Amino acid sequence: MRRPLSSLNLGTNVKVKLGRAGFQFTSDLQHLNPEQLSQEAGVSQQEALQVLQAADTGGGGGTFLSALELLQKEEGSRSIVTFCSQLDHALGGGLPVGKTTEICGVPGIGKTQLCLQLAVDVQLPQCFGGVEGQVIFLDTEGSFLLQRVVDMSAAAVRHCSMLAEDEEQQVAMTTFTVENILSNIFLVHCRDYVELLAELHLLPAFLQERTKIRLLIIDSVTLPFLQLFDDLSQRTRLLQGLGQKLIAIATNHNIAVVITNHMTTRLRGAHSHLVPALGDIWGHAPTTRLLLEWEGSQRLASILKSPGHMETTAQYQITCEGFRDAAQSEQPQSKRSRTFTD
Amino acid sequence: MTSFFNATFINKRCKTVKPESGPDRWRDDLGPAAAQPDYHRGVTERSEPNRVLQNPPVFPDVQLVTGLGLVWSLAQLKSFKEVVCVSGLDLQRLTGLSQAEVQEVLAAAAAACRSHSPVTALQLQRGEHHGYEFGLRLGVGCPVLDQLLRGGLPVGGVTELSGESGAGKTQLGLQLSLSVQYPQEHGGLNSGALYICTEDPFPIKRLQQLILEQPVLRSDVPPSLISGIRFSDQVYIEHTADLESLQVCLSCRAPLLLAQGLVRIIVIDSVAALFRCEFQADDWLERNKQLLAFSSSLRHLSHEFNTPVLCINQVTDVFNQSADSLGPSSSSVCPALGLAWANQVTVRLMMRRLQGMISRGAQTSALRRLEVVFAPHLAHDGRDVGVWREGVCGVLDAE
Repeated sequence: MRRPLSSLNLGTNVKVKLGRAGFQFTSDLQHLNPEQLSQEAGVSQQEALQVLQAADTGGGGGTFLSALELLQKEEGSRSIVTFCSQLDHALGGGLPVGKTTEICGVPGIGKTQLCLQLAVDVQLPQCFGGVEGQVIFLDTEGSFLLQRVVDMSAAAVRHCSMLAEDEEQQVAMTTFTVENILSNIFLVHCRDYVELLAELHLLPAFLQERTKIRLLIIDSVTLPFLQLFDDLSQRTRLLQGLGQKLIAIATNHNIAVVITNHMTTRLRGAHSHLVPALGDIWGHAPTTRLLLEWEGSQRLASILKSPGHMETTAQYQITCEGFRDAAQSEQPQSKRSRTFTD
Repeated sequence: MTSFFNATFINKRCKTVKPESGPDRWRDDLGPAAAQPDYHRGVTERSEPNRVLQNPPVFPDVQLVTGLGLVWSLAQLKSFKEVVCVSGLDLQRLTGLSQAEVQEVLAAAAAACRSHSPVTALQLQRGEHHGYEFGLRLGVGCPVLDQLLRGGLPVGGVTELSGESGAGKTQLGLQLSLSVQYPQEHGGLNSGALYICTEDPFPIKRLQQLILEQPVLRSDVPPSLISGIRFSDQVYIEHTADLESLQVCLSCRAPLLLAQGLVRIIVIDSVAALFRCEFQADDWLERNKQLLAFSSSLRHLSHEFNTPVLCINQVTDVFNQSADSLGPSSSSVCPALGLAWANQVTVRLMMRRLQGMISRGAQTSALRRLEVVFAPHLAHDGRDVGVWREGVCGVLDAE
């Protein structure tokens, strides 16, 4: 491909030097090695290497995949279960790895509980149908309380040891302990949006080192950006950049990205109803959107937006063991054992 | 954690430069800098002369310095904080640097801005990460309520206590101002309390009565210990009649008290009073802004000083349970200040007044119930309580 060198992703001084040496198009750079180029153009070896690499790849373009390869890749990748079988079924196995999912809901509905449950479930051994990965948790609200994580991990270990039948699963249970689960959860506290953005800048380098990470949780993405109520255009710009970065992280490193969002009230004429916060522009960023809401005294999880699944609703409950299916029996053995009546 | 780069910083890095190529050294060099939360610390270490001979910084430092210089002059960005908020492509366009150089500048700025590098939950449990204390809770002083709260109030977020008037919220606030003064092994935090009153004057007589009755309430603590604590000396009382003075108190006086270790709990009684009366119905945008600023400063104080913050709130009536409900449809009242405030709260408790009386010894009290509405680590549960002479005490459920 014959491209003018000025269109490549290089520094201006390098481009000027190349221009002065007489190199106009990428075809001029063929059959040249870095030493020759650095001598002719007067650039350093490293810069010459960069120029040749940029010219080869056509300025940093990606590789092409056929749809069949993509299908095979998707079928081969596993999902992260939520331990609520209705919701897992609606999502086609669980939360997909390699995509971004947003969880929105009113306070107290269970968003953080679902995130903590996913942080434990991503570590399920592969022989139990899990992904056996690590997780990095960016906490902006201060709602990551270790007591709860320990409860959920202990419950998951108990659940799996009851299910363990064959040799492979018994062996896996020796390493699937509460201590190991805790050692695979990386936590960062971000106190404002600058720290959150800084953490996301440094995340690709961190993920290069730790290749076992399969889940990134941000709880929540709304809280730090609420400070920017004065400068909404900057907020939109930062959120769009954040959304793109998250999609890039999800696809390049093959991890599932889970983001929590608040709800806000929108007035339409005389009626007000609850919508996910951060506006419509942010709504385009996540691939899948899950809404958690109350219906009477029942908790529901609905799929609001998903490219591959129908808009279904599943019931769930939060027990002392974590995020589980809604109990079907009359006397639910749940945390919410009492409904208060005045 | 925002840092400004000035001439001294750039000067220091320029002095110790020796050009040397090699992509591996670059990775090593940026590695320690990225791991240290304070970028400047790395600079001063490298500028020592013996360090220069052993471990000379390499070629990319010059690039980084010129990169930062270009960012400062051409892009007009004066701090690392501003650099982090600009996208890579914008920086390239403004400064003319290549993609790799811009990534380096961004990585350096991000390393300076981050609070701490990732820690594992196991390290947190073992207490290896300073600043976040696993499992530290402020006990209420009553074993039944401490069991409901799994130890007490968490130190890292805002706890809200709402209820109707006369339910006993102020009583619980006073009790916490005293229980914080006990040592850690008895559920306290070994420090005083900052009590901010926004509506009624501080009930000083009730506080004196509670102090006198502490030995009765805290029968688990040796009396010599209780008599050794000077309770009224360590309760700092502020009266703020409007929002402005509340903000002044939270931004100036509270950090001073917290930094000196004199207080380790902030009680605000009540939050609703100021926000409800100072704004008209159509001023809701301004009200929301003020509410966000206020709750943000509370959260920062709470996280920075590992302090529990208790906000006492009023309730409003719920007229019709529409489809968009904020909670399970079981009650006729919900906490005031709406969804914007509810999103900022970590733990939400509610105190209700019930029908009936309970008695204990010679005392009788109206029956009340303390409920957990939501919390990340607590079950949706409640306990019956009574307000006695010695304080708020739970009664074990008959069921």
